[in-house]
Parts: sequence; C-alpha cells; structure tokens
Amino acid sequence: MTFIVPIGPQHPALEEPEHFRIEVKGEEVVDVDFRLGYVHRGIERELCNRTYGHGLFLSARVCGICTDAHSSAFTRTVEAVAGIECPDRARYIRTIGIELERIHSHLLWAGIAAHEIGFTTLFMLFWRDRELALDLRELLFGQRIMSGEMVLGGVRRDITPDKVPKIVRNLDALEKATKHYIDVCTSDRTVIARCANVGVLTKQAAREFCAVGPTARASGIDQDVRRDDPYAAYNEIPFKVITERDGDVFAKVVVRLREVLESIHIIRHALDVMPKGALAMRFPKKIAPNEAVGRVEAPRGELFYYVLSNGSNKPERVRIRTPSYANMPTVKPMLVGGTIADVPIVLASIDPCFSCTDRITVVDARTGKSRIVTKEELRRMRI
Amino acid sequence: MKAEDVVKLVKKQITDVKIPNERRVFASVDKQKYKETLLALKSNDITHLSTITGVDLGEQIVVIYHLDCGDGVLLNLKVPLPKNDPRLQTVTDIFPGAVLYERDLMDMLGVKVEGHPDPRRIFLPEDWPAGKYPLRKEAPKEEAPEAKK
Repeated sequence: MTFIVPIGPQHPALEEPEHFRIEVKGEEVVDVDFRLGYVHRGIERELCNRTYGHGLFLSARVCGICTDAHSSAFTRTVEAVAGIECPDRARYIRTIGIELERIHSHLLWAGIAAHEIGFTTLFMLFWRDRELALDLRELLFGQRIMSGEMVLGGVRRDITPDKVPKIVRNLDALEKATKHYIDVCTSDRTVIARCANVGVLTKQAAREFCAVGPTARASGIDQDVRRDDPYAAYNEIPFKVITERDGDVFAKVVVRLREVLESIHIIRHALDVMPKGALAMRFPKKIAPNEAVGRVEAPRGELFYYVLSNGSNKPERVRIRTPSYANMPTVKPMLVGGTIADVPIVLASIDPCFSCTDRITVVDARTGKSRIVTKEELRRMRI
Repeated sequence: MKAEDVVKLVKKQITDVKIPNERRVFASVDKQKYKETLLALKSNDITHLSTITGVDLGEQIVVIYHLDCGDGVLLNLKVPLPKNDPRLQTVTDIFPGAVLYERDLMDMLGVKVEGHPDPRRIFLPEDWPAGKYPLRKEAPKEEAPEAKK
C-alpha cells in the first residue's frame, strides 16, 4: 500500500511555487511526479515583442538570482547574431560581475541547504558572508542583485582603481570564510550524516538525463561552459573545473563551496590583468536575418539561448533553456529509494530555481478558470 | 570533437550545413532521417542534448535539436515539419533527457511527438483550450509598452 504526499505549490520547504507528488511506501519514496508552470510569465514570447535593447532588461528578469548570467547569455547570443564583439575591458568587467554573482548564489544555496538539514546557525553564517559579495556588487554596479550592468556591445560603467582595495579586502574575507566552511562541512558529523550517501545521482544517470552545472559535476561529469565554450574573458583566465565522484548531496556541497574559491581566484586574476580601453561599442538597432546559439555557465549550470533575427529591430524567436529546467528530470532518480525526510534537502540539492524553469504563459487561476490577464487588468491590480 | 569532424560523421544525412565559427554547426535533416542521425551521433559518444527548440516560420514549424558534441562544439540539427500536420517520433529512447523538452514542444507549438512516454501538459494549465498554442504565430500578440523617452 502506498500513499501520495503532495508537496506544493505552496509549501514551507519550497521557496517558490511548484507541485511535487511523492509516492511513499512507509518512509520510503517509491515514485515522484512534478507539475511545472505555476510562475510562467510568457517571457520567450514577450522577448519577440520587444526591441533587442528593451529585451535585454526582460531577459535579466527571468531569474532574480542569476541576472548577470541571463544578461551575459542574451548579450553573447545577440552580439553573435549581429556579428559584433564587445571591447576587451568590457569582457573583463562582465567576468567579474558574473563571478560575484556565482559567489553570492552558491553561498545563498549553501545557506538554504544548511536550513533544510536543520542547521540554522550555519545558515545564518553563510548568509552573513554572502553580504560581502553583495556589497561588492553594489559598489561596482550600483545594485546588489539586478545590476543592469551589461548592455549590448559592452558594459555600462567602469571599475575604477579607487574601488580595488575594497574588492581585495572583501575577497580576502570571503576566501578565509569559505575555507573555514569547507572545513566545517567536511568534518561536522551532522552535515555528513544528513548529506553523505543521500540523494545520489550516478554518473550514468546524470549523463542520460543531460544534467548540467554543479549537479553534473558532483556526479563526476567534467563539463563547464566557461572552459569548453568560453565567453567574456574566460579563455584568458586560468581556473579549475571542480568535480566530485560520489553524486550525493555532500558532493554537491563540496563542489559549490570549492567553486566559490575558484571564483575568488578568477576575480583577482581579472583585476590584475584587466586591459584598458573602451567600455562599449555602438550597437545597431536592426539586425539582418541570422541565427545564433549562446551558452553561459550560470551558477546552476549551462544556460542556453537561441536567437533568430529577421532584419527588424525585434527578434523572430528567442529560446531560453535554464539550468534548473535541464536538471528537473534528475530529481526522480535522486529521490526514489530515499526516505521522505530527505526529500527537502535532495530537492534543494539541484538548487532549483522555479521562476527560471517556468516562463511562458500568463494565466490567472484565481477564479478556477484560466484566462489571459490583459495589460489593463494588470495595471489595475498594481494599483 | 571538432566542428568539421561532426559534419563528417553525419555527412550522408545532413544538408544545408553552415559553420559560422569553430564551435557552432547548423544543419538540416529530413524528417525521415533525423532519428538515424541522432543514433549515429549517440553511438559516437555524444550524449548531451542541450535542449530542443521549436520555431514557427509561418508555413513550417522547425524543430531544432541542440547537441553538445564535446570541446564546446554545438550541433544544431533542424527538422522542418509542415505546419498543417507537425508530427515527429520521440527521441527519449536515444536521449532520456529530452523528456521535458518534448512536452514543452507539444504544449507551446502543438508539435505531436509520437511515442512519448508521458505526453501530459507541462507548463499550460489542465483546462487550457485544446488546439491553442502560445508560441505559434497566430496566437494573440500584445504590443509591448514603449520605453519612455
């Protein structure tokens, strides 16, 4: 006899709305099903109704955490469609923005993971030190998260020499803290008991389900878009791709924390060798018919954009495939065979971002009936 | 694998090959041949399907399989389908990771994916009207508000 445990769309264990049906036999999970689409916003379609310059701001809002990842993917792809390369200094500034975002995203995740296993002190500590990265983003780009730093053909503002000492100070503090957290997580009995051998994704399953990012790397798959298909300044900066073999939650913790250290090295190196020069190029309003695919390594993995242009100032089609969407099929092999108590931490282990996963249609289900909400209604609701 | 090697591998099946740069290949393949092409790629250790894109071009719906061939080379394999009867066989038997992307394709563009193990809706609500596909050209379009000058 099995029971169905519904989790979500609204549930304390989920930060965003999504529905999971967990089938259990006693304590053991025997099957998992999920339903996506609760936060669909119609972004792929809306991007085709906007000019390229206008669309950049919308793409940055696909996700509230990886905004620079989306901006860099959008600019990389649209620049490829237009056949334009951005200036060298802008490539380095973009790299610094993207890596600061990776640091704060990984520390945010580590805090949530600590919270899921009931280790609230560690959660507080991770989020305290995440502020060091956010402060730097505010210093450099004027905003903690939604920086709007990237523009088509370059970046908006420069990193001036007077800001460098503060960057160095915060990076040193972050490095010290991260090393300490790696020590804590790899030696603390509670963390090991809750994470080791839990939610295992084998290398073969990761490959079959086309997993991406830290989820794939924790299962021993050596892939990283920054190294394999370099963008921004990654082809000029040496860094290590972190992999682990075990595929469990513990491996995912270790991969992400060690990636934070790599990101710190990347930023330091970028500051040292950053060339001087222009920040942005003029970007044409209209783009001749062409197509391009651009990928970047977002904090959660490979983020994929496809853009088809048609000669006008608006794209014909934009396809976005976010990393959490790619990793969703891996949830089932990770959960089945485990216990119901491990479900929250295993779900959290892919660092799911549901706003990323859902994008396309605007539907109002308040009345029980689905319909398209008009712009006027949205305006009224806003007031 | 280099871009040229990827092309060599499936030269017999593909047409219309474009290599815009060293890590990108665009090619078209016939509806009858796309599965054997994907199988040939899979048997050469190409396992990562980045995603599947559907594009409504008016007369045709083009389905694009984006495959990571290693070394950052991305093969974009296009399968054109007539818009009045867009039908395809599932590729989940070759790439199990395609399972959500094919459901997405059915939801958003109304491409019928035959043999899919779980052809339920993925993003659209259960009571969404049948035969209406949000990413088709005929779907109602709203003009974006103009940016203030």
